[in-house]
Order: sequence, then structure tokens, then C-alpha cells
Amino acid sequence: MQRFVIRQLIRLAAGLLGAVLIAAAIAASGEPAARDLPGFLTAFLNHLIQFGRLNLGISLVSGTPVAQELARYLPQTLALVAMGAGVALVAGVPFGLLLALGPTRRIAAPLIQIITATPVFVSGLALAFVAVHVLHWPVSVNAPVATPYQSWQIAALPILTVGLAGAAAVQLVLRRSAALSSEAPFRTGLKRMGLGLIEIETFYVLPHVAAGLAAGAREIVLALVSATVVAEWVFHSAGAADLFVKSVALADWNMAAILLFVFAAITFVVDFLGQTIAHALAPGGRP
Amino acid sequence: MNGPLLELSDLTVTRGGTTVLDRLSLRLETGECAILLGEEGSGREALVRVLGGFPDKADSISGTIKFAANQARPAAKRLKAPIRIAYLPSPLTNPLSPHASALKQLVRIVARKLGAPFGSAREELRLALERFPTAVTLELLDTKPDRLDPVTLAIALMAAVTAQTPDLVLADHPFADLGPAAVKLLMTLLRAEHTRLGFGLIYATGGLQAAARLGGRVLVLRAGRVVEEGDATRLMGEHAHAYTKTLFKALPRLNRDAPKPRTAHRGQPLLQVHGLSFVPNTSMRDGLTFELRRSASLALVGEAGSGRRAMLRALLGFDKAPSGKVLFDAVDLYRLSEAMASRIRRRIAFVTGEDDCLDPRMTIHDTVEEPLRAHLDLSRDLIAGYRDEALKRVGLASHDGKRTVASLSMFDKRRLQVARAFVGAPLLVVVDEPLKGLDAFAQTIMREVLVDFRATQESAFLVMTSDLTVAQALADEAMVFQDGKIVERGSIAHLVRTPQHDATKALIEAVSFSDLSPESSSNL
Amino acid sequence: MRTREVSLASLIVRGLGWLGLGLLALAVLLSDFLAHAPAGAAIAGAELSPPSQAHPFGTDIIGRDVFSETLHGLAATGVKAVAAAAIAIVLGGLFGAVAARLPRPLALLVRGFWGVLAAVPPLLLAILLIGLFGGGFAIVAAGLATAPLGFVRSFDAVDVRSRHAEYAHATGIPGMILLKRDLTYDFHNVFGSVVARALAAATIVISTASFLGFGAPTRDLGLMIAASKISFFSAWWTAAFPALALILLILCARLAAGLDEGERA
Repeated sequence: MQRFVIRQLIRLAAGLLGAVLIAAAIAASGEPAARDLPGFLTAFLNHLIQFGRLNLGISLVSGTPVAQELARYLPQTLALVAMGAGVALVAGVPFGLLLALGPTRRIAAPLIQIITATPVFVSGLALAFVAVHVLHWPVSVNAPVATPYQSWQIAALPILTVGLAGAAAVQLVLRRSAALSSEAPFRTGLKRMGLGLIEIETFYVLPHVAAGLAAGAREIVLALVSATVVAEWVFHSAGAADLFVKSVALADWNMAAILLFVFAAITFVVDFLGQTIAHALAPGGRP
Repeated sequence: MNGPLLELSDLTVTRGGTTVLDRLSLRLETGECAILLGEEGSGREALVRVLGGFPDKADSISGTIKFAANQARPAAKRLKAPIRIAYLPSPLTNPLSPHASALKQLVRIVARKLGAPFGSAREELRLALERFPTAVTLELLDTKPDRLDPVTLAIALMAAVTAQTPDLVLADHPFADLGPAAVKLLMTLLRAEHTRLGFGLIYATGGLQAAARLGGRVLVLRAGRVVEEGDATRLMGEHAHAYTKTLFKALPRLNRDAPKPRTAHRGQPLLQVHGLSFVPNTSMRDGLTFELRRSASLALVGEAGSGRRAMLRALLGFDKAPSGKVLFDAVDLYRLSEAMASRIRRRIAFVTGEDDCLDPRMTIHDTVEEPLRAHLDLSRDLIAGYRDEALKRVGLASHDGKRTVASLSMFDKRRLQVARAFVGAPLLVVVDEPLKGLDAFAQTIMREVLVDFRATQESAFLVMTSDLTVAQALADEAMVFQDGKIVERGSIAHLVRTPQHDATKALIEAVSFSDLSPESSSNL
Repeated sequence: MRTREVSLASLIVRGLGWLGLGLLALAVLLSDFLAHAPAGAAIAGAELSPPSQAHPFGTDIIGRDVFSETLHGLAATGVKAVAAAAIAIVLGGLFGAVAARLPRPLALLVRGFWGVLAAVPPLLLAILLIGLFGGGFAIVAAGLATAPLGFVRSFDAVDVRSRHAEYAHATGIPGMILLKRDLTYDFHNVFGSVVARALAAATIVISTASFLGFGAPTRDLGLMIAASKISFFSAWWTAAFPALALILLILCARLAAGLDEGERA
């Protein structure tokens, strides 16, 4: 266990280091001096040193320090990702288990294909359409309007959009992991030696499947972050993901680089946690 | 309990249109032992499934089953058997979950079967283990099953079975591929428990070791029918059915005749080893020195894990040995560049008991042709000619050459390995447990194929095995290994007649069936 | 028995997927004939008219026929996605084949770099690359962004450190022959599904990026849907039909790729 965690920590550190390097390269590419290679390298080193001093630079668009902007926009986005993850787990886990273990598997597979084939922005717009025409909710699609008492209704749609995208990823990871353990020889072995099916599933298969889910956390978080970008754009909520899109569009490379680093860091940290949990649940179950 | 423990009548099992068991009737007395001898697909597995009460969904079953004094009932009904049935699987089929402690799983099984709390189940298991004259303890088992060696796991599984004090034990080829010495030990344990607890024993197997060791009634299954039934000794002596005859011919026996004066190999030295120490961190005083001449043969005999594999890797220059020198064809392997070593290795072929050594994606034809195409500049026709000859030799000529390796049976893959080895006319053939996992009939053929290979090609043979009969069939000289050291060496004929070291004696003992003479088996 | 049934079902599904892709490709090829109007042609006075005989998919806010526009958009998206998928496969495949054969430290370095890229969602990566190099770079960006997504891994499965490769090495079979094996057997077997998977991923990334305003100026499905954001609450047809076309394209590609890993069993 200890060795495993240390190895994962090294991977985490290496990943974060790589992300810092890439962020510095992106920030440097925005400098006017970075037209040629020596200029780029100087700018790159400069940014690295600045990052080392925890100086994240200044947003080229708003003129405020990047750190300040992060503090303003990031919490909202993180909350959106976290709540989306909650929805994804609540919706995706039972769904995935039902599809993976139940006899509905083959019938439901094409349906799942259709749902997962829908790009997030399309499903977001579809949700908005349903909310307006069926539920008569206020939706901030065209202009940021928010009456305080309806604010939760406005917040619900992006969360739902992110959550659905996450749920698709969750059920995929879950089904893959369940398919892996459904062929495990110990199922037959234990059953023949006299254990009940439910007993085998609860004590020996479920931890394995859960470990598979934890090990696939990276994929789920990638889907969530990706969906967050789209959801914030579609529903006009001014968060960090929206800020990223705008920064890139306006060539604010300082901002974009740091945001990219933050998103990569989220993935690495979640991956680390997921791998560790997976190892604790079913050591040696996965490479 | 008096009378029969179990009575099957007219049991028929079909799967998707094919009959796997054909109106089989079987009667087992209380405390009797019956051996179901049959290859894969003979109906052996289906019979075990029906008896154990865990039929497949694809099985359609007719016929009746009757336990002890109960009413006969349709075998298709999934009812709880009125007697206690315990299932003994092979440790090599990975019957336990690799993610949990073996001990906890076994305790859970015993508790379920006895309907007892975990505490007392654990105690039963401990008592069962203590009855065995082995060093396996509860504490040792409290780890993941894949950290235990198969023999330990087999002992643990057996303890879990006897801890249930069953009425009937279903042994599903439990000791296949564990090496002769281990099988002998496990058989002795099983026999002792059988005598002590008086359970009925149904032992399904594809190998002949069980029939030879356990004694008792043997039912030879083929294509869903019992083709022969009788005492083990009778079947081995004056057997009537041709199929049984071929089966029993496969029972390997040591040849204890005086060595025939063979023409001594005066060929060029092929493999010369000087002062090689191949196991890291062990100080061998002198290291290993030997010589294998062209078209000569040498067997490295020892139980699995005795250091044979490390030695082989050192011999072929994959791992550089800490000290010593290996000359292949008078060239020092350790001084060669990778490219040169690779040229030398072209003249080496492998035949192993591991089937993943063939690329599962390739076709039969490609597998055999590849060495020719890789090393020689031959015309297509010539290659096809060599290929077909090699395939014919191993009996695969009738297979469609476009089938992939992945779609072949284990036996076919094994023969394909031989064909691939054969086609390159190698100087040295490394044979590593060639019979592992094969059924009795397949073993016989595989043995013949290899013997034929050796007789027709002028290749030197390096044989690694834990079975002295294999060594004897394929080699003249042997080195006996124990714990990474060579304890005895010499010509096999001499070793068999006058073994010096205990390890050698144990190896001989493991493949001797002298206790099968009529007098000793009658008291079973 | 069961495995045969499953494989038969998956064969049918994959066949359907390829059939769908073929039909879509045909529609794209014939888009100039099938469409009522050339791309971008607006009909004055017919703004936002609902689906009718003349305009089966209705018209949009400046009076363009949605049916024709959808066909043109599909053509634009399809062509871009195919190009991006090709880039993704070539890059991913090349990388996988090379990385598996590099000496260990170098391979670790390359893998690490790739791993960092793979930690950012492909969409963000594509947006960033388009932002850095301009809209004309959109196809390459989408290809680069989707390459780490798994095409690398499917070629990686061709592991030179596998057991049979080790044995081949032990009998002096040179590495080139092993590479040839990989190319003949794996390419042959996985190529179809890799292409289809890359196509699905590239389509999603390309259309989402252009929905967010990052893309070449050609009007593709993503851009059409983005433009109809203003009108679709009152005139659903302006967004629904392009969206359906997009979903159909992705769905066909995914079906052609075979069911997901979990289903393939």
C-alpha cells in the first residue's frame, strides 16, 4: 500500500510539473518577444521563475492579477463540477449497475449509444428548451437575468447538464469494470464451493467494481470539466471555464495558461485519489 | 447410512443440440470412491455439474437422481441436495477471489456449508489443517490466493472440504498439473481423509495419475458414455476396450532396464558452460560446468521453482549470469552484440507448456512459416513444402491453415509449437514441461511427436521438467535440481536404477506406481 | 454459444453503423444536388417559417432554408471530422508504435508529455490550440486534441513486451518481423473501429469548438446551432434539425466502432 501510494505520488508530482511546464510555455507564447526561439525560451524561463515565486502574472484583458481573478471565478466552477459529479454518481451508478448486471443489458445498449452520442451543447440546449416550454422556468440562455428567488432554478440547469454528461462517463466506466469482473473465474469457483450468488456479489465482486469506478475517476472528471465549459457558455454563468474560453478568444494567455494548469491539476489530483481508493478497495486488481 | 449414497439413472444432458451425456447411470455406495476418467468434452464436466447442483443455463437435463434413502427425483430440478456435498476444485482454475484473503474466503465457505458461525468454522478449518502432515497453517493462508503456491492452496482447499465433514466429495480434476511429487502428496492426503471420514468420493480427471494412485472403481467416459468400468488394476491389466487401452498406455512409466549401450556422442560441443552461477545472491562454490554436444540431450529435472528457469535464462544469455561463461557453438554468448546473439538464437527452438508463447493473432500457416521467411531467402513453394511437411509430422495437416492460433485447442497449439520448432531445423530444442495441461490421450501423442522429432532431426535437446518419465523419453542425461542447486547428475538410466540423493529418490517415487499391484490395491 | 451470439449482434450493430456512415457520406457527396438552395442563400420574406412543403425543415432567422443549410453544414462538419480523425490516427498510431519501442527512459518521457496533454479535456486542448494558431488550424487542433484519447492505447496494445514477442526474440526473430506482425494483424483487426471511434470523437470536438466560436469560418453544424440560439425557443426547427444531423453522424460513427469496451466482453 505504502509503496503504491508513493508511486502514485511521484506520478502526481510529475504530472503537475509537466502541467506547470506547459502552462509556462503557453503564457510565454503570448509575449510579444516570443516571436523567435531565443525570445520564446527567455519568456518561458521567466514565466517558470515567476510561477516558482507564486506570481501568476496579470490578466491582459482585465488588468487584474490572475490570482485575484481565479479567486473570483474558480469557486463557482468548482462547485458546478462538484455538484455535477454528485448528479453524475447518483444517476450514473444505479443506471450503470442495472445495465451491467441486469438482463436489460442488451436491450438498453442502443439507447445508451444514442444518449451518449449527443454532444453536451446539444443536450444543454435541449434541457433549456424543455425547462422553458414544459416547466416554465426562467433560463438565462440569451442574457444573464437572475431574479434572486429563482436563482436555484437558474443554477439547476447547468448542474443537470454537467451531471448528465458525467453520468454517461460514470456508467461507461462502471460497465467496463463490471464486464471485467463478470468473467473472473472465482465467481464460478466460489459458487460451486457453496457460497450464495448475492454473497459473492456483495463481498467479492462489488468491491472490485467499485475499485474499477475509482480507477476510472480520471475519465469521469475529464467529461465533467469538458461539460462545464459548455454549460457555463450555454447558460451564461460567469465561471472559470467560461473565463478560459474568453481568455483564449481574447488572447489573454496568462489567464488561459493558469486556468489550463488548474484543470489539469484537478484531473491529476482526482486520478491520484481514484487510484489510491481503487488500490485500497481491491489491491492488485488493476495495473 | 446403509445402501447407496447416490443413484443416477438415465441421465442425459444436451447442450445446444449436442449430447454431452448419454443415458448415464451411476451408483455410488456410501464411502465408495469412483474415478471419472475422461478427456475434456467427454461429458466429465457435465456430470460434475449435475451432481454438484450447478448446471449451466445451456444444459438441458433429463433422468433422475436419488440421494441416500430419499426419493428419486428429476435431475433437472435445482433442489438442495439432502446430503452434504463438497466441491474440491483445482487451485490452478483460480477458484478464489484474488482480492481477498484466502483464509477468510475458505472460512466463509465452511461456515455456509456447516451453517455455523465464522468462529467455529475457523476452528474446524484449523483442525482439518492440523490433521495434515504439512506445514500449512491458518496464519499462512491469511493472504491473497495468488501469493500462495498452488500446492499450498490445494491443501487449503482440501482442508476446507474435509472441515465440512461431507457425505460426498466432488473432486474436479483438483491436482492437475501440480507436478508428480505434489500430486503424490495430495493424493495420499485425500486417500487418508477418505478412509477416515468415510465420505463418498467422485474424482473427475483427465489424467491417469488419479486412477493409478487412488485405486477403486474407474469409469472411463467417452463421448457421453461409460465405455469401460472396473477396478483400476483390472483396467490397467487386461483391458477390453481399445480406447481404454490407448488411455492407459499413456500412463508414463519409468524404464528401469539396464541402459542400452548408445553410440556415444562424439559431435562438436554445442553448448559449453564453465563455472556458471545463475541464481543471484547464492554463492555456489564452483558454479556449474557442463557440456552439451550436438544432437545430444540433457534434462534439467526438478520441482517447479527449483531454479531451472533462472538457469535457462542464464544459459541462453537473456540474463547475464553473475559469473561464468557460456559458449554456444564455440562463441561466448555474453560477449556478443545483440544482433550477433540474435543470429545465434535462430538455431534455438522452444517447445513449452505455456500457450501464450505463440502469437494468438497469427494463422497456423504464418506461425510455421515465419521462422523460414525471417531467416532464409526461400521461394514460396519451398517454404510451403517445408511448412506442410512440418504440419504433417505433428498431425495438423488436416487443419485449415488460415485458422488463427487463438481459435485452436490447447493440444493443437502445443503441436503447432512443435511444428514451428521443427521447420527451422534447430541445433538446440529447449523443451519446457511440454505436457502441462494436456489430457491423457493428448499427452501420449505429444510425447510421441517429440520423440519422433528427436529421432529424425539431429537437434540437441534441453528438457526442463518435473516429471522423470518425460525426461527419460526425451533425454539421455539429467541434472537434478533442488532449491537452485544441482544435487545429482548423470545418465538417466543410471539415476533411475541407483539414485543417490533424496530429491532424486522423491522424483522417482513420484512416478512409480508399484503400489498398484493387485495385492496392495485390493485393500483400498 | 453465448459469445457467438454477442459477436453476431455486435457485427450487425457495426454493420448498421457503417451503413449509416455510408449513407451520410452519400448525402454529403450529393449535398449540392439534394439541397434546394446553395449555402447561405437567404429568401427574403420567409424568415422563421415553420416546416412546410416548400421548406421541409423550415427557415431560419434570416430566411435560409434549414434543410439545405443542414446538408451543407453536415458536409462541412463531416469533411473536417474525417480530416481531424485521420490526423488523430496517424499521430496516435505513430506515437504508440514508436513509444512501445523506444528505450525505457525516453519512452517514459514521451509518455509523460502525452499524459499531461491527456489530463486536459480534448475540448479545452482544441480550443487552446485554435486560439494559439488561428481558426485555420481547427482541423489539426481537433486531431491533436483527440489523439491521446485512446487511439494511442489501441495501438499500444500491440505490446512488444508480450509473452509471444519475448519467445520470438528468444528464437532470433528480428524486431522488424514483429512490427510487420503488428501491422498485418492488428491494423487489419482494429483499424475499422479505430477509424470510427476517432471520427466520433473528432466530430464532437470540432462541432463543440465551433459552437463555442472556435473554428474555421465555414458554416458547419456547430456554428448553425450556435447561431440559432437566439431563435430556437420560439422556432425549434432552427436548432433541432442540425442537432439531429449531428447526433446521427456521431451515433453512426459510434455504432461502427462497435459497442463500448464494457459491451464488447
